[in-house]
Amino acid sequence: MSDTIHIQPGSVAHEAAHDEHHHGHHEQSFITKYVFSQDHKTIGKQFLVTGIIWAVVGGLFSVLFRLQLGFPGQSFPILETFFGHWAKGGQIQPEFYYALITMHGTVLVFFVLTAGLSGTFANLLIPLQVGARDMASPFLNMLSYWFFFMASIVMISSLFISTGPAAGGWTVYPPLSALHDASEGSKLGMDLWIVAMALFVVSSLLGGLNYISTILNMRTKGMSMTRLPLTIWALFFTAVLGVLSFPVLLSGLILLLFDRNLGTSFYLSDIVVNGQTLPNEGGSAILFQHLFWFLGHPEVYIILLPAMGMVSEILSVNSRKPIFGYMAMLGSLFAICILAFLVWAHHMFVTGLNPFLGSVFVLLTLLIAVPSAIKVFNWLTTLWRGNIRLLPSTLFAIGFVSLFISGGLTGIFLGNSTIDIHLHDTMFVVAHFHIVMGVASMFGMFAGVYHWFPKMFGRYLNTTLGYIHFWVTLVGAYLIFWPMHYEGLAGMPRRYLDKSVWRSFSQFGDLDKMITVVSIIVFAVQLLFIFNFFYSIFKGRKVTSTNPWGANTLEWTTPVNPGHGNWVGEIPEVHRWAYDYGKDGREFIPQTEPIGANESKH
Amino acid sequence: MQTFFIVAILLLGFLITFQIAKASEYVAVLRGEEKAKKQTNRVNAFMLLCFLILGLIGVYYCNERLKGKILGEAASNHGVLIDRMLYITIGVTFFVFVITQVALFWFAYKYQQSDTRKAYYYPHNNKLEVIWTVIPAIALTVLVGFGIFYWFKITGTAPKGAMEVEVTGSQFKWEFRYPGNDKTFGKKYYKNITGDNPLGQVWDDPYGHDDIYVTGEPMHLVVNKPVRLIIGSKDVIHDVGLAEFRMKMDAVPGTPTTMWFTPTKTTADKIKETGKADFVYEISCDQMCGRGHTGMRGEIIVETQEEFDAWITKKSPKYIDALKAAAAQKADSTKPVTTVSVSGVK
Amino acid sequence: MEAVMNQQQKRMHPHKFTLWVAIASILMMFAGLTSAFIVKSNLTGWRNIVMPDFFWFSTATILASSLTMQMALRSFRQRAMDQYRWLIGLTFVLGVTFIVLQWFGFKSLWDQNIKFNGSAGAGQFLYVIFGLHALHVVGGVIALLVIFLKAFFGKIKLYSSVPVEVAATYWHFVDILWVCLLVFFLAIG
Ligand code: HEM
Ligand SMILES: [Cu+2]
Ligand SMILES: [Cu+2]
Repeated sequence: MSDTIHIQPGSVAHEAAHDEHHHGHHEQSFITKYVFSQDHKTIGKQFLVTGIIWAVVGGLFSVLFRLQLGFPGQSFPILETFFGHWAKGGQIQPEFYYALITMHGTVLVFFVLTAGLSGTFANLLIPLQVGARDMASPFLNMLSYWFFFMASIVMISSLFISTGPAAGGWTVYPPLSALHDASEGSKLGMDLWIVAMALFVVSSLLGGLNYISTILNMRTKGMSMTRLPLTIWALFFTAVLGVLSFPVLLSGLILLLFDRNLGTSFYLSDIVVNGQTLPNEGGSAILFQHLFWFLGHPEVYIILLPAMGMVSEILSVNSRKPIFGYMAMLGSLFAICILAFLVWAHHMFVTGLNPFLGSVFVLLTLLIAVPSAIKVFNWLTTLWRGNIRLLPSTLFAIGFVSLFISGGLTGIFLGNSTIDIHLHDTMFVVAHFHIVMGVASMFGMFAGVYHWFPKMFGRYLNTTLGYIHFWVTLVGAYLIFWPMHYEGLAGMPRRYLDKSVWRSFSQFGDLDKMITVVSIIVFAVQLLFIFNFFYSIFKGRKVTSTNPWGANTLEWTTPVNPGHGNWVGEIPEVHRWAYDYGKDGREFIPQTEPIGANESKH
Repeated sequence: MQTFFIVAILLLGFLITFQIAKASEYVAVLRGEEKAKKQTNRVNAFMLLCFLILGLIGVYYCNERLKGKILGEAASNHGVLIDRMLYITIGVTFFVFVITQVALFWFAYKYQQSDTRKAYYYPHNNKLEVIWTVIPAIALTVLVGFGIFYWFKITGTAPKGAMEVEVTGSQFKWEFRYPGNDKTFGKKYYKNITGDNPLGQVWDDPYGHDDIYVTGEPMHLVVNKPVRLIIGSKDVIHDVGLAEFRMKMDAVPGTPTTMWFTPTKTTADKIKETGKADFVYEISCDQMCGRGHTGMRGEIIVETQEEFDAWITKKSPKYIDALKAAAAQKADSTKPVTTVSVSGVK
Repeated sequence: MEAVMNQQQKRMHPHKFTLWVAIASILMMFAGLTSAFIVKSNLTGWRNIVMPDFFWFSTATILASSLTMQMALRSFRQRAMDQYRWLIGLTFVLGVTFIVLQWFGFKSLWDQNIKFNGSAGAGQFLYVIFGLHALHVVGGVIALLVIFLKAFFGKIKLYSSVPVEVAATYWHFVDILWVCLLVFFLAIG
């Protein structure tokens, strides 16, 4: 099923060689058009909507456990109404608390910011921006969504079993996650977690394969690799990271499944749990951490790179200026992609890792800061002397850069093993990764949604709501996570639900209250955004021009509501890179425009 | 009822915001979109500037409010190094933080859209790019240099004559063992663990006969005497977190880990220093280990050698208890004794 | 359209390319498992195994099947459809035989008292690694079955050799992977 067969009805005749793959474009039923669709745009929207639903679930979990953190000991009878014995007496029970943070982490990291972010924008943008009618294999692409859907169903179902969902943290370290007797969450819930993640891995592999082959093989005429928009480059590296690291997680999880259910000793050794002596010897609990973080660290870049790509594109379009240092941006993406595979053990400095090995990982980890710094300086220079349109998408992109700086700098603390001895597994880590990965990527995603919403649905989002959304979220994010660093500096461990018995960590009561209140407000504003999103799909202002932002890239040469196949008639040919903004006194020059006779060179 | 009101108010707030937002869209269309766009652009640019200024003030204010709440001076030799590294890093990164954030928001404000400005076509400049590759690289090399230097000092072998204490974590408590007069721990094997032999000591090993077992009370350490902790776990992964000493090490079942440091302040010193009579060094479990993780708390008392000696001489080794228990068992039954003579040495 | 077609022909067919990326991905999974094996084999309490003979027979089988697969592909290219059909059929049968032999291999190990539970050892890894490999072969066998059925019952207007080529590449891949895994176990296990 190659790209060439997806032709608009009424355009060129179908190729004879592909006759076995006729698509019934002429009369598509609801099912093939919206449910089992093979159109990359529809699949992208499916990922986005599923991701949004998951984001609400994951966000709600954080509100619940923030209530516990901000007001430990206080009773909220409504919780008991909803959650029964999990919140006995209106108080969140420890098992429930741990289930909540585990699901919160898993859901937001994997289901929202991996599937929801790459899934949405890779599907939407890759064919549109490289000039292809669809993905290399639309069928695998559809499967990718449905595997994600199945993963979602399994994960959701684990919330409703009597022993509750997995509760060992999103990192599911064994032995805790391997021993049924060690925690309620390590019973059936953990098996479901593993199954859901296995399905998820399959989904992201199918997606990743497609993204890579589409980008490398299906670019339109003239679209050389160095003319690709940075979004595509970022999505490409994201897919490479995913394809090479998710299988390793899968192998780690398979071994975990064996240890849990068949009595093998991959991770288990010398254990007496609940007074019961287990026969396992010779296992290594640290082995799992290596396998997990071999995915886990690339995973944070899988989350971050698409956001970086979109931010580069949006900052350039809206400052009406080329992205500064395209090749440097590309080089730094490449460097990040390579280094991402070489730093995983910085999560394991205090596990008894060989100190020499530790020092190697310090070096490699701090090396990653160099390409990151290059990117920041290039974004700043892109804004410099621009003519900046402060649309909601631009604001979110600027917010992304701000958060990426703040969170990236605290990474320099943690990457330094000497400091990490003190800060590891404290609230400092929580603050760090929320800013740099959680909130920053969310900002990238919001920027992307505001920017490409007109392409997705042919309508605009309400801008006023967009501004409210941005300002509350930006201020809220800093209020929540900036002071949290101080808790970590005091050594306060993460995953503690009540600090009152501790002498060293109980001095932040007021701060925790403030954080909780702010996070509830921020959560409410996200609901406002979601309302805006769904309302605007049906009732938003209609887009009238094909190129509302005056952008150069190919997606804006398609009709306002492109059909399956994207372009009516031929796919346009590309003659230049994507960033000729403000060149020779012209505001923008689309990629499809041939180089003029006396155009200046750069 | 109260919940109902809260929900109602939230909903109302939603509706109002939404109506205003919708209305503003219409107004914009009525007043001429271009004009309205320009105005929002100006407003947002101004707000970005305000955010920068208020944000920097906020950073300062936050620090003033909270700097007194993070721990005071480190109470161990390694802690001093770690704190020094921390402050160097704070210095470097704070400088970068201010410069880049100011540039970001200032540019966004200064170069906001205006009819009189044309964007400057500036696709690249190799010299600049090299500069901001090299400078961060140098800065990071310096940080890495310090970091690794301290790291090897901290993780290097403990000095000779260091005292040794074994720490064992299990859901959800800490147990300690001192090697006794022979300064050597006896062997142990996890399959020997029973109620009477909580660490699974192998009684055939004479080195273990004088080992002192302590639980349910603080670990005692001697001030200015290096101590090497041998850390293990019986069930899941725990972590010995010593915030006051700035030290931390995982407790992994099946793979013992170690760490060493020299406590430099007695508990009494700390009480004087902080003015808090209830001061005590705490051991926190820093690796999530199940439902009781939050409460997996241990205590440490740092004292002088004399005080320590007085404390430890009052303890009797577990072996003696085990012998006594065995004798008692023999006395009231003729069953063969199994608790004492366990052989399965690893 | 024409322009696009022409340009596409110069590049590798996207489906073949996708397969190569998938192969890289599968390799990463086995790399994860084998490196875990190496790490663990240095720890205490490790138990080694004796490789049952069945695995030698299965090696011969899968090597032979690679050969027949390659011949089938050649016949297809030469449009010798009858020959192609029975060669594909033969490959399919050899594939099934391979899986059956693996099963017997596992059984004979099991009878040697190499079971799942208890302390760590090469046996536990062998079940997991060879088992996962067998799963990948099963996937290939299913693909062969589909091609085989198409060759018999489908309309023979299929001029594109891409699906057969993709299947053949995958088949050779699982074959080579098997040989590597076996050598790995013999060398280190
Ligand atoms: C409303 C915004 C959010 C708030 C208030 C929030 C709050 C928190 C807090 C306080 C914790 C630590 C719980 C503990 O260790 O005791 C946590 C954990 C975590 N959060 Fe968030 N979070 C938010 C959004 C996000 C986002 C967008 C992500 C996506 C990357 C995310 C990913 C995680 C992860 C991975 C963990 C660690 C879970 C674990 O310990 O296993 N969070 N969150
Ligand atoms: Cu990492
Ligand atoms: Cu613990």
